[in-house]
Amino acid sequence: MTRLTVRNLTKSFGKIEVIRGIDLDVADGEFVVFVGPSGCGKSTLLRMISGLETISGGELWIGDRKVNEVQAAKRGLAMVFQSYALYPHLTVRQNMGFGLKVRKESPDEIERRVNEAARTLQLDKLLDRYPRELSGGQRQRVAIGRAIVGDPQVFLFDEPLSNLDAELRVHMRAEIAALHRRLGNTTIYVTHDQIEAMTLADRIVVLRDGRIEQVGSPKELYARPDNVFVAQFIGSPKMNVCPVEAIRSPLQRAGFSTGGATQAGLRPEHLRIVDEAEGILCGRVSISEYTGGGALLHVELEGAPVFLVENSGDDAPQPGDIVHLAFSGSDLHLFDAEGRACHREPELA
Amino acid sequence: MASLNETGTTVRAPRAPWLTLKRRETIEGWLFVSPTLIGFLIFFLGPLIAVVFYSLSEWNLLSQDTTFVGLANYEDALTQNPDFWQVIRNSVIFAAGLVPMNMALALALAMALARPFRGVVFFRTIFFAPVVTSAVAWAIVWKFLLQGDAGAVNQMLATVGIDGPNWLREPNWAMAAVIVTRVLKMVGLNMILYIAALQSIPRDYEEAARLEGASEWQIFRMVIWPLLAPTTLIIMVITTIGSFKVFDHIYLMTGGGPENGTLVLAFYIYQQAFEFFEIGYASALAMIMFVIVLALTVVQLILRQKGST
Amino acid sequence: MALSQPQLATVKRTCWMLSLVVVAIPFLFPFLWMISSGFKGPTEIFGEPTLIPRTWRWQNFVEVFDYQPFARQYFNSIYIACAVTVLTLLLSSLAGYALARMRFAGAALLMVFLMSALMVPEEVTIVPNFFLMKWLGVMDTHVPLILLPVFGPHGVMATFLMRQYFVALPKELEDAGKMDGLSRVGIWWKIALPMSRPALAAVAIITFLFSWNLFLEPLVFLSSLENFTLPLALSNFTDPYGAPLWHLQLAATSLAVVPILIVYLIAQRQIIESFAMSGVKG
Repeated sequence: MTRLTVRNLTKSFGKIEVIRGIDLDVADGEFVVFVGPSGCGKSTLLRMISGLETISGGELWIGDRKVNEVQAAKRGLAMVFQSYALYPHLTVRQNMGFGLKVRKESPDEIERRVNEAARTLQLDKLLDRYPRELSGGQRQRVAIGRAIVGDPQVFLFDEPLSNLDAELRVHMRAEIAALHRRLGNTTIYVTHDQIEAMTLADRIVVLRDGRIEQVGSPKELYARPDNVFVAQFIGSPKMNVCPVEAIRSPLQRAGFSTGGATQAGLRPEHLRIVDEAEGILCGRVSISEYTGGGALLHVELEGAPVFLVENSGDDAPQPGDIVHLAFSGSDLHLFDAEGRACHREPELA
Repeated sequence: MASLNETGTTVRAPRAPWLTLKRRETIEGWLFVSPTLIGFLIFFLGPLIAVVFYSLSEWNLLSQDTTFVGLANYEDALTQNPDFWQVIRNSVIFAAGLVPMNMALALALAMALARPFRGVVFFRTIFFAPVVTSAVAWAIVWKFLLQGDAGAVNQMLATVGIDGPNWLREPNWAMAAVIVTRVLKMVGLNMILYIAALQSIPRDYEEAARLEGASEWQIFRMVIWPLLAPTTLIIMVITTIGSFKVFDHIYLMTGGGPENGTLVLAFYIYQQAFEFFEIGYASALAMIMFVIVLALTVVQLILRQKGST
Repeated sequence: MALSQPQLATVKRTCWMLSLVVVAIPFLFPFLWMISSGFKGPTEIFGEPTLIPRTWRWQNFVEVFDYQPFARQYFNSIYIACAVTVLTLLLSSLAGYALARMRFAGAALLMVFLMSALMVPEEVTIVPNFFLMKWLGVMDTHVPLILLPVFGPHGVMATFLMRQYFVALPKELEDAGKMDGLSRVGIWWKIALPMSRPALAAVAIITFLFSWNLFLEPLVFLSSLENFTLPLALSNFTDPYGAPLWHLQLAATSLAVVPILIVYLIAQRQIIESFAMSGVKG
């Protein structure tokens, strides 16, 4: 039963405020991902939770304990670092047992727990190697092993996959997900990669400039982003956003009300190429990028903005072709002048 | 159990402890530096401040009295004592001879030894060997080699028909001898600094210049020399300051003579303090030395700033 | 007859090597001469100079130990240099670590403060230190020779060298140490130090040689022969009128210099790199 409670947390370095009042509740066993562009404060927030960074203001609770001034090692957390941070002068076995040794566990107990973790992560054969003798994926696994031997209440991951190549990243992502299903620990995971966030998270926290932009399940963030920033950050390729003004008449012709919205957003994967009769928007293809399964089209609309359109199938239009685009009303996102979402009431639609 | 109850938190929250993580870091930080800092205050900063007070008093260790005399010691040095200006002149000549010779030789050797070839390690090892050798040993051996007629140097010169001077007994030759032998002792250090700098210059520059048809000299003059400028500046300042500190070398080779011809500032301070026991006067000299070195450092900082902008 | 391209290159290379050899003579020659003269008798030493002694006088190396307590002096130099090195390593790595890694109030100011020491020559502070040591009652002991290098400009230089190295170490390793429950001292001792062997080696080498070659401080603080260190002892092989006893002096100098040279030849790469490290930083 380890929940994590963050109340109005702030952090400043001198006059520069990097975390500007974060409120967050993480439930027991939940997998929460902090995501955001670089410099958004996600790593700082994680480090404040870990105790590696001091807290300037607000409160941090782990379980029933306020831990603002509790030292990192005494918070009951374990952390997996981006660079793995394996001690180069110690073997895998010593690396994994190091924390237990510092905490004065008996050698037998250390041995037992290291072996158990090694079995879980298939590290048995590597225990007497040094970190420099391991591949990137193996190092990553040792780093996770070191985190689980201490049997922590909460796992923290700081961009753990960003040093791996693309293939290994997908593989380790699945392993981390499986590990979480098995161990069920509360987990906080920091990444700048929104696909990692979408695939792993129970809930995603989108951060920007030291503030939370939105918290929600991957589905919520994708389907109902609170603002333009989240709308464009989640999803790849990113959402097309243009002033409502530019496409007002086609929208009206198709019967979509725009209310007081000033910006409209449509995801590339929600735009279908259709016959002229069904088409809502119309434009000329300027670039067609072949992606294997289909093509990513850059379509210049009449009203000026360029929309990305995902087109599956082989018969992709060529540059210069005129295409007609359609979409369903539920996929149209509308935002006000400040970029906040204008949620239309579903029953009225 | 959903979320923390606001009133509940305030009741359970203990008061923030005095030993916050931040305070802890500060205390630990000062504890880590304290051995160094305390020693530094006692054996370095304290004495440095003491020198200022000493320099303002008339204090001869033999007569044991101390009287406050204001700036009289400085006045004595700057206007009364003819030795002082000779010492300054000697120090300047020593620096003016040593620094360019050291740097030119260091750069030439570095240019020759920066790129690998068969035997490069052998030569680097030889040129650097005097640096690890004690200045005392180096001075003793050279004093032996530079003796009047019996010295090996003059005997060798005699075989090619040159009648060498009595190097260490004639003021001008003595100064030249201590400069050259000091250069030989220390040039290896600047050589390796130059080698390190040369090796950090990407070969692309040189190759690009060569493709454009530049001659070796042009490559050096227009590509390498400008890229070495920061290193040259640092080496120049270190070497200049170093030249003002030279004591053991001269103490052992010439004892400051002949006719005070090689008496430099560092030696003069030692002589006044520990041979003539003129503590006040010696302290004033130490302050003057401090100011000179300080000025050189400031000049370095200004040049560095200019160089970086 | 014109030379072919490869022949020209060979000639060039030969000239090149020859000129390097000529330049090397004044660097190498003093060492050879020192050793050879250390084997010569008091009369031969003033005769026609030859690199190989006509008669090898091994006795010099015995007389050296009779003339002064040279073994004792040799030992003094060794143990003082070791003490200075160990203390400097310990203190400079502690302070250097704090300055590199700990965010504590006053750290920046402290840096500037310490840095100012790098530009003050020992000659400036030697006079007050003389009275300080007198007051402490440690004249003619080895205490000043240990304390002054450790806490003077050389110690500060070592601190900065260590700091520069620590700054470049990956920080996440120390974070991992913190998460594992290590104290600050634990992180310094078990993580930072084991990863800083090159910097520690550089500081050790430079410090040992610095102490080994120190001359002004022994000259000022020591008065009895059995307390002398090597450099002071070497300068002391003179007849009652102060004229040098060359054969003994050069034999003793050889004894002092050759072991260092042998170590240097074995570890020349490491030693030269150490000096380069300390110089680049300045």
